[in-house]
Amino acid sequence: MRIAISSYTATSALGLGLKSIQEAINNSCSGLRSNDLKNCDLDTWIGRVQSVEATALPPHLDHLQSRNNQLAWLGLQQNGFLANVDQLIDQVGANRIGVVMATTTSSIGRTEEGYACMEPSGQMPKEYDQPEIHNLHSPGIFVSRATGLKGPSMTISTACSSSAKVFATASRWIKYGLVDAVLVGGVDSLCLSVMYGFNSLELLSPNPCRPFDRRRDGINLGEAAGFALLTKEELAPAAEFALLGYGESSDAYHMSHPHPEGKGALMAMEQALKRSGIPATEIDYINLHGTASKANDLIETYTLSQCFPTSTLASSTKGWTGHTLGAAGILESIITLESMLHGIVPGTLNCGEPDPEFRFPILKKNTKMLIRNAMSNSFGFGGNNAALIFGRIND
Amino acid sequence: MIKLDIAGLGVWSPYFSNWKEFSDGINTGCWQLNAKLQPNLIPPRERRRAPLSVKLAVEVMSQACEMACLDPANAAVVFSSAMGDMQITDYLCRTLSTPPRLVSPTRFHNSVHNATTGYWSIASHCHAATNAISAYEYTAPVAFLEAAIQALEEDIPVLLVTQEMAAPLALHDTCPSDQPFSCAMLLTPTGYFASPLASIQFSVSGDSVNWPDIPEDLRLNLESNFGARLVPLIAAVADHGFTRTILPVNLKFPLSSNSSLKLSVSNRK
Repeated sequence: MRIAISSYTATSALGLGLKSIQEAINNSCSGLRSNDLKNCDLDTWIGRVQSVEATALPPHLDHLQSRNNQLAWLGLQQNGFLANVDQLIDQVGANRIGVVMATTTSSIGRTEEGYACMEPSGQMPKEYDQPEIHNLHSPGIFVSRATGLKGPSMTISTACSSSAKVFATASRWIKYGLVDAVLVGGVDSLCLSVMYGFNSLELLSPNPCRPFDRRRDGINLGEAAGFALLTKEELAPAAEFALLGYGESSDAYHMSHPHPEGKGALMAMEQALKRSGIPATEIDYINLHGTASKANDLIETYTLSQCFPTSTLASSTKGWTGHTLGAAGILESIITLESMLHGIVPGTLNCGEPDPEFRFPILKKNTKMLIRNAMSNSFGFGGNNAALIFGRIND
Repeated sequence: MIKLDIAGLGVWSPYFSNWKEFSDGINTGCWQLNAKLQPNLIPPRERRRAPLSVKLAVEVMSQACEMACLDPANAAVVFSSAMGDMQITDYLCRTLSTPPRLVSPTRFHNSVHNATTGYWSIASHCHAATNAISAYEYTAPVAFLEAAIQALEEDIPVLLVTQEMAAPLALHDTCPSDQPFSCAMLLTPTGYFASPLASIQFSVSGDSVNWPDIPEDLRLNLESNFGARLVPLIAAVADHGFTRTILPVNLKFPLSSNSSLKLSVSNRK
């Protein structure tokens, strides 16, 4: 059984909805800006979404107020996504549609604010009395309420692989028959925890990030909200794309450094290929994890050389959006689907000269090509890896 | 109804440090507040850096694998906790509340929800899929469902962990847990092992149910711990070891305010 992708949308530093992605890629126009996040004086660049702060939640969701949920709400409004959810509810019923969200830091930005004005009693002030947001499932709670979906609801948080893994869980739930469809999503918003946390690991670049460039000097953090509806194929006759395979693995090596030979990453890619039944030679494009950290980019190219012919086009789109952490898997999957739709493979923005140490060629410039099948890679702290393969339904 | 087996169990709370102490406690009704924790599986380098949340999870996971005589490298993992490591969240939010906002890099990388599975995979040389999830107060039954579907759909053993740590004051209204509790359950497709501990049948329905009562002599601060919501299930398996309970035992757990997991625990077949 193939899993159809009946609808999707993404909001990131590039703007609201899918049109913003296509425009930014066609114009090679980055969404990164010099850091201007409130209360954060770090010398770095960020992929901030404009107008998050101005987004008002509807009255019945007002008690779930947080930057992360504002970003989720802003994202849900785009590309008629909520109307598509309603239509699917009419088709199969709200009980038969699950919700699997992803995040790394959930609504912790709001918790940070509450701590900054802590009462002498050691408790957050009354306006922060919001138990449903000070926990990791805040995005799942918010999206279930906002859509009226009543199927099982959970939130995955495995660092930067989180919103790739939502596709794997959704695939299992649908194939096993637990539900007929799943709303999957990833929402992560900029907050002090990630900014100062990555800074403590000396991973932030003071420049716009340069994935795979020989002068790359670290990552830029970003924020995004991405959503997709995955269904049994027969429920989405108009769907153009399907999830063909997924792979999930663990490095079993180090908490914050990838396995030196990319063992876990390779296992995830091989598993995804095996599940899809597609040979590596028929993957036309790979959207890489490509964070612009020294270690990731070197190891990821080595891993590719173990698995794919060098004719495979491979690029990182983090020069456009920054690293959106728990939203990266789904944001980059959606960028991949848009490339398949429009026939334009994104290059690697800000990559002037690929590192001569790489064992695999990196696509620098946008290239016109009809992609048959594509893969998207996501690797996270704790050695947590995921790879997804997408293809065309009417192939 | 969907069927699967429980092949191994591991538990830890301040009142019991393993399955035997838990089962003995259920049999005698006597509990002592002095459980020890010696997670020897974690290599020394990692052990120094690992927070209590990680040590607890690794301990119960290795107990469950040991009981089933399963090489830990062969099981996928679903770790679950509503809140993750609340001591680290508390530390980060306090440190970030005023300049210079300098956070410890080790505590930052330990703050990821999957820190438990990261250390576990290093300690047990496990390259399998590992997951870390939350469903707030419904975390434990939702994680059971996720682990069960993964075991059945992929035909593999899946190690489920349900855990919640003690909450710091500022997060206590969100998660009213006063003591840590951790439980690991090795779930397998029916017949994966010749003699599992128990067999389970379950179904999901769209109705509203209350949490089942935790047995009276087992109310060791567990009622308020989101990680301990499946205790009635493991108590039924433990009870059965002492033949106090006649199986099957039927239990209902809420998965949300409007859906439930109906579950029947029976003798191994």
